[in-house]
Amino acid sequence: MPEKPIKKLKVAILGSGNIGTDLLYKVLRSSWLECSMFIGRNLASKGISRALTLGVSVSDKGIQAIQDNPDCCDIVFDCTSALSHQIHAPILAALGIIAIDLTPAKLGPFCIPSINLDSCLDGVNVNMITCGGQASIPLAYVLGQTQKQVDYIEVVSTIASKSAGPGTRLNLDEYIETTEKGVQMFSGCSRSKAILNLNPAEPCINMQTTVYAQVPQLDLPALQKGIAIMVDKIRQYVPSYQLVIPPTYENNRVIMSVRVKGMGDFLPSYAGNLDIINCAAIAVAEKFAMAKVDGRG
Amino acid sequence: MGEVEMSKVIISDVTLRDGSHALSHQLTEAHIVAYAKAADAAGVPIVEVGHGNGLGASSLQVGLSLLDDRKMLETARANLVHSRLGIHVIPGFATINKDLKFAFEYGVDVVRVASHCTEADITERHISYTREKGKEAYGVLAMSHMASKEVLLDEALKMQSYGAEAVILMDSAGAYIPIDVLEKVGHLSAHLKIPVGFHAHNNLGMAIANSVAAVEAGAQMIDGTARGFGAGAGNAQLEVIVAMFLRLGIETGIDLYKVLDAADIVEKEIMQNIPYISSVSLVSGMAGVFSGFAKHVTLAAKEYGVDPRDIFFELGARKVVGGEEDKIVEVAMELQKRKKQG
Amino acid sequence: MEKYLREMITSDCQEVIGSSPKALDKLRNRVVYVTGGTGFIGTWIAELVSYLNDTYNFGTQLFLLARDTNAFQDKVPHLAERSDIRLIRSDVRNIIDIPVEVNYIIHAAATPDNRQHMSNPLAVMESITKGTAMILDAATTLPNLYNIVNISSGQIYGQQCRDIGTITEDVAGTLPCNSITSVYPEAKRYAETLCCAYWSTFKLPVVTARPFAFIGPYQLLDKPWAINNFIRDALTGNTIRIISNGMPVRSYMYPSDMAYWLLRMLVDGKSGIAYNLGSQYGITLRDIAEKVKRCSDSTSEIVIKEMHQDDSVFVSDNSLVFSTLGLEIKVPIDKAVERSIRWFRERIKN
Repeated sequence: MPEKPIKKLKVAILGSGNIGTDLLYKVLRSSWLECSMFIGRNLASKGISRALTLGVSVSDKGIQAIQDNPDCCDIVFDCTSALSHQIHAPILAALGIIAIDLTPAKLGPFCIPSINLDSCLDGVNVNMITCGGQASIPLAYVLGQTQKQVDYIEVVSTIASKSAGPGTRLNLDEYIETTEKGVQMFSGCSRSKAILNLNPAEPCINMQTTVYAQVPQLDLPALQKGIAIMVDKIRQYVPSYQLVIPPTYENNRVIMSVRVKGMGDFLPSYAGNLDIINCAAIAVAEKFAMAKVDGRG
Repeated sequence: MGEVEMSKVIISDVTLRDGSHALSHQLTEAHIVAYAKAADAAGVPIVEVGHGNGLGASSLQVGLSLLDDRKMLETARANLVHSRLGIHVIPGFATINKDLKFAFEYGVDVVRVASHCTEADITERHISYTREKGKEAYGVLAMSHMASKEVLLDEALKMQSYGAEAVILMDSAGAYIPIDVLEKVGHLSAHLKIPVGFHAHNNLGMAIANSVAAVEAGAQMIDGTARGFGAGAGNAQLEVIVAMFLRLGIETGIDLYKVLDAADIVEKEIMQNIPYISSVSLVSGMAGVFSGFAKHVTLAAKEYGVDPRDIFFELGARKVVGGEEDKIVEVAMELQKRKKQG
Repeated sequence: MEKYLREMITSDCQEVIGSSPKALDKLRNRVVYVTGGTGFIGTWIAELVSYLNDTYNFGTQLFLLARDTNAFQDKVPHLAERSDIRLIRSDVRNIIDIPVEVNYIIHAAATPDNRQHMSNPLAVMESITKGTAMILDAATTLPNLYNIVNISSGQIYGQQCRDIGTITEDVAGTLPCNSITSVYPEAKRYAETLCCAYWSTFKLPVVTARPFAFIGPYQLLDKPWAINNFIRDALTGNTIRIISNGMPVRSYMYPSDMAYWLLRMLVDGKSGIAYNLGSQYGITLRDIAEKVKRCSDSTSEIVIKEMHQDDSVFVSDNSLVFSTLGLEIKVPIDKAVERSIRWFRERIKN
């Protein structure tokens, strides 16, 4: 483990909404990252006001702020929108700035920190898939790694209604298709299904993701071991990722379930679904920072 | 809404869809052929077919379907001449590209897009798509006992704005009593520009009474299944509703003898048992839990050696919604742990 | 876009301008700034101004403000490419400055899509209230501003019934303010009052236009409005379903009339006045469905379900716009439907 660098890696946050603001708090807490700019489109936005009180430089010029000052950062977290990211991505690539894409644009490769973080370091753009994806794909991956054959994987996520904004609600189909794609990619299993439930109960529930699988010659001990290791790995960057149903074989299926409580940095703690993507994005950026110190970046 | 003559009600027959829960979604081709023919002959206006949770819902979570969606629709369509073919669609389970798109190739006429009763805005895309294809789109608010009439109206207004041509309130838990129905159906009927429907379950023995109350309050569509075929205590018994409406002078367009014949077919050829209010079903209704959980709860209770009634009350306390079958396993495991710890 | 559709639009423009564009002379060599610039209204303003520039050398500059300018380039490349049209990519809520050379503003930013009102009421209300405030505020510092047209909505007239007949601008409509259905009209009413406040404080020249319903090119068939649904279903051979008794009365303005009236309100509208923007010719839903079917030669069946009693009337009284601005409807409903069908028939093919 390299020593703490003297100089932190500079990151900019593009998108001053709730996601961006939560990321800001995480960056401020990080030993590897420093936020050189918090960028939005309206200086009067709540996020920008907060950033100012936290002593962070702000701009309302959008991507222009980075174009005007390309040395300001090495990495950009883009939490604007898929449409906007399609405009931002080539600009950032041309400037040699790494883009961590938290939108559904999916221009760069899918990244799951606990699985393929290192290979993502070679690229200029990584996509953080979906919340259900970040929670379930590591488990699907372990299935693929520990089992001779996996016929089918199903991922069911239930999130608090309050943590699903209008964007999520209008794009459920896209969430499902992206998650399924990610599950297939990382597990090696060609048949997958993703389901999403919204639950309005108050007090708000934490995100829960259950993974089912059809495994013809199940090696349960290997699965349980692999999952336990993976859960620990994830808890390195998502502290309250908790296994609530350990891998179990019952009713002709493998079942396991995790619950994610958010860190509550800015987003409420029930929004574990949003938090897990942010934590994953931070993990990616920190790895870039570590690699740079190692001389790789 | 002005005066509506209480003389016509559209019956939506969900025997071959909601009933599917009772068979753990193992409806066969023969079942569909036999019933579709009989329902069509009886003049049932809409026959809904599919997995208990609708299109694309065959899953390890809710249960794998014996037949795939296409087969079910193809079979039903081939045996429905006058009746419209309907499907149930839950966004979050079914997507437009993978599921809804092809459904229209199989001759679906009516798409009922369902969400939990507080989450109507997830139905926008699916309803719009159905309307673009020129088919009938209805909105469905599930587990509607869990929301006030004001919230239900708000959600129904959303569906109306998306182009829904009716909104159906579902008593998915069988938790309503007639006065609740009068209040909620009445409120929506008074403020919507589109008709209101009601879907009853019999966990508290109120399915028929609730259906009658719904029509009294202005509902123009009522759901039912033949012989009450459905999970747990079953649905509103279709042929009883038809008979009841006959008595009340409400036109359904359905032939009494033929619908009774159809119910006989279900009883003899499709059902494994005639639904009744068992202890577990009663508790399910009291706890306000999705009635389709019945078989899952019974199974989990056996598997983990706990009381199914305890599982239901715990699920109710957690305010679990439809589609959350995984919580059944979690609750059963927890209860088992608690039991062991004494 | 098909050449003949573009020709149709050009002849629509020619028809409303008539023999002489004199009535719009004040626009010559001026700069017009349109918020919501790439939407239905903005696109038609662009078409009409382009026509004036090409045919009569008006030399008018257009600035079109929109969140998604790429979509405009895809939709109407023949307009996006023009040197007299400049696209500005921004959300109206974030506007702090308006280019100093702007002489006229048409504030059309806000979506009348009631699905969005339901699914995202907060964003809709903020866009209307904050967006209007930002524009008005920025406008106060413009050195050569002659007029602003604030596009409001006929929905601010609230619930109307048959007894009133057509609606004049002095009708104070009733809106149930604690209903989700009031999100759009209530925000629009607030925006109108805000315009009033700016006019009172800064003598900012603002007129209000209250649009009713429209049918014509550049509309989208997926919008959940009755006539759009009828056209879509007629052209695809699907059943045209009317849930009510078919008796609600509506009126439909063709967009070339709409664009022309707006430009006239812009140059001649009197500050502090609200003007209706719609057709005064009412028609029942039943009749419009029949008309659509006939005009499109469709085999679609019309089914009137009679599942809802509806006597509502939503028709504009145009006495004020006629007496003060001399504005008339040039495109009667039959032509409006005919041309719309021609347009949408082409759109559906693609």
